[in-house]
Amino acid sequence: MSKHLDVWKVSKIYETPSGPVEAVSEASFSIREGEFVSILGPSGCGKSTLMMMMAGLEDVSEGVIIERDKEVTGPRPDVGLIFQEATLLPWVSVIDNVLFPVRILKRPRRDYEARAHELLEMVGLKDFHQHRPAQLSGGMRQRVAICRALILDPPLLMMDEPFSALDAITRDEMNVALLDIWQRHPKTGVLITHSIREAVLLSDRVLVMTRRPSTVVCDISIPFERPRDPRIVESAEFNRLCNQLRGYIESGYAADQNNRYRSAAAAVATTE
Amino acid sequence: MKRVTAPMQQVQPMNVREAESQEAESKPRLAPVAPQARPPAEPGPIAVRKRRSRPALAGYRQLAERIFLPIMVVGLFLLVWEVLVKHFQVPLSLLPPPSYIYTRLTEVWPVLLDQAVPTTLETIASFVAASILGIVLATLLTYSRLLNSAFYPIIVFFQLIPKIALAPLFVVWVGIGAQSRIEFATFMAFFPIVVSTMTGLRATPTDMLRLCKGLTANSWQVFTLVRLPYAVPHIFSGMKIAVTLAMIGVIVAEFISAPKGLGYLIVFASSQADTALILAAILLLCMIGLTLYGVVVLLERLVTRRYG
Repeated sequence: MSKHLDVWKVSKIYETPSGPVEAVSEASFSIREGEFVSILGPSGCGKSTLMMMMAGLEDVSEGVIIERDKEVTGPRPDVGLIFQEATLLPWVSVIDNVLFPVRILKRPRRDYEARAHELLEMVGLKDFHQHRPAQLSGGMRQRVAICRALILDPPLLMMDEPFSALDAITRDEMNVALLDIWQRHPKTGVLITHSIREAVLLSDRVLVMTRRPSTVVCDISIPFERPRDPRIVESAEFNRLCNQLRGYIESGYAADQNNRYRSAAAAVATTE
Repeated sequence: MKRVTAPMQQVQPMNVREAESQEAESKPRLAPVAPQARPPAEPGPIAVRKRRSRPALAGYRQLAERIFLPIMVVGLFLLVWEVLVKHFQVPLSLLPPPSYIYTRLTEVWPVLLDQAVPTTLETIASFVAASILGIVLATLLTYSRLLNSAFYPIIVFFQLIPKIALAPLFVVWVGIGAQSRIEFATFMAFFPIVVSTMTGLRATPTDMLRLCKGLTANSWQVFTLVRLPYAVPHIFSGMKIAVTLAMIGVIVAEFISAPKGLGYLIVFASSQADTALILAAILLLCMIGLTLYGVVVLLERLVTRRYG
C-alpha cells in the first residue's frame, strides 16, 4: 500500500535562554495508508512534539514531512485531532461540540447533522446530544471528542495520549471502543501513548521513542489480524510483544542513566 | 462647624461598616434559598421519610441561620444604638437614633430620590464606559505583544496612584460638568475589568487553541467562538468590582463639584449639621449600589446560562 505519511530526518530544536534544546532528533519513519501506528515512549521524550509537527501545528526545524506526495507546511482540516483532555466547549451542547469543525469551516450544518448523530450513536451517546459537557463523565467527554475528530471524515486521525487522563477501567473500555470505531471507519491513525498494552492492542505497528536522543529507536509490527478481538490481551503472543517493547524502553532508560546514549541506540538497532 | 464635622467622622465609618455587612450578607442569602427549599418538597415513602426528616430539619436550620441570624444581629445593633443614644441623650447633630433617621428619610424622600437620579445615571454611564473600555483595552493588550509591552506597565503604574487624589485634577482638566464626573468614575473603575478580561482571554486551554489552529480557524473565529466566551466568567468578576468603584468615583466627584446628586447632598447636609440627612442619603446610596450590583449579577446569570 502507498505511503500516507513520510517522516524524514525530522528534528525540532527549541531556542531557550539557556541554549538550544533538541525536543526531537532526526526521527525517520513512514506510515502506510490505512495503517494504525503507535508512538510509544516515556513522557518528555518528544513524542507529542513529533505529532504536532506531523499535524502541521509546529514547524519542523530540520528534515521533511511528506503527506501523500505533498510537503506538510501547516495545519489542514483533514487531520482529526484528539488530545489528552476532551477540550470541549463547556457552554455548548454535545451535538454542537461535535459539529464545531463544521462551524469553523463554514460548511452547511445540515449536511453533517445526520452524521453527527450516527457517530454519537456509535459511541453510545445517542441520548446525550443535548447535554452539556459538564453533565458527562470523563470517558463520555472523550467519546464526544472522538466524534468531533471524525465529523469531517478525515483520512488521518492523530491522538495525543487520548486516554491517559481516564481511570484504568474507562481506559480499557475506550480501547475497545476505538477498536470498534476503526473497524467501521478504517483510516490512517497515529496514537501517541505511554501505555505498552494500549499500543500493542490497537496498532499495526509500534514505534518506540527514547529520551536523549529523542528519536525513534525501533519499529515493531504487531501481527494480530483485524477485526481484532480485545481478548488477545490474554494471549501469550500479546505478552511476549509487550515484554519485548518494555525491554526496548528500559534499554533506552539505562542509556539515559549511564549517559551513553549513542551506544545504547546502536545496541537497540542491532537487537532489531 | 468644627464641632459638627469631627463627630461626623465617627458616625460615618460605623454606617459604612453596616452597609458593607448588608452587602456581604445579601450575596449568600440570594443563592441558597432555592436549593434548600427543595428537599422537604419531595414527598417520599413513609419508610424513607424518617431518614429524610433529619436532613430536612437541618436544611431549615441552616436556612434560619443564614437569613434570620444576620437580620437579628442587625436588628439588635439598631436597638442598642436607639437605646444608647436616647439614654445618654446624644445630640441629634452628633448621632441621631435610627428611628429619627427613618423619620427624616420619609420626610425628605422625594428630595432624596430627585438627587439620586443624576448619581445613578452617572454611575451607570461610567460603569458601561469602563466595561467597554476595559474589554477593548484588554483584548488589544492580549493580542498585541508590542502594545502589551508598551502600555501594560503604564496602566499598572496608574493603579499605584491613589486615584481619588486625582479627582480635583479632573475638575481642572475637564470641568465641573457631568462629563467630568463620568470620566473620573470611568478612570476609577476600568482597571479591574482590564485585568480580569486579560486573565480570562488567557484561560482558554492550549489544546483548544491547537484544535482551532488545526481546523485553520481565523483569529476572529477563535476570538468570538472560543476565547471571549471562555473569558466571560472572568469579565463578570471584574465588572462586579467595577460597578462599586464607579459609584465611589461618582460620589467623590460630586463631593468636589456638583450642583446636584447624593454626593452633593451629603456635603450640603454636613454643612447644615443635618446628620440624619447624611445617614439617610448614605442608606439610599447603599440601596442603589446594591441594586446595580444585583443587575450585574443578574446579567451574569443570563450570560453564563449561555456561556457558562
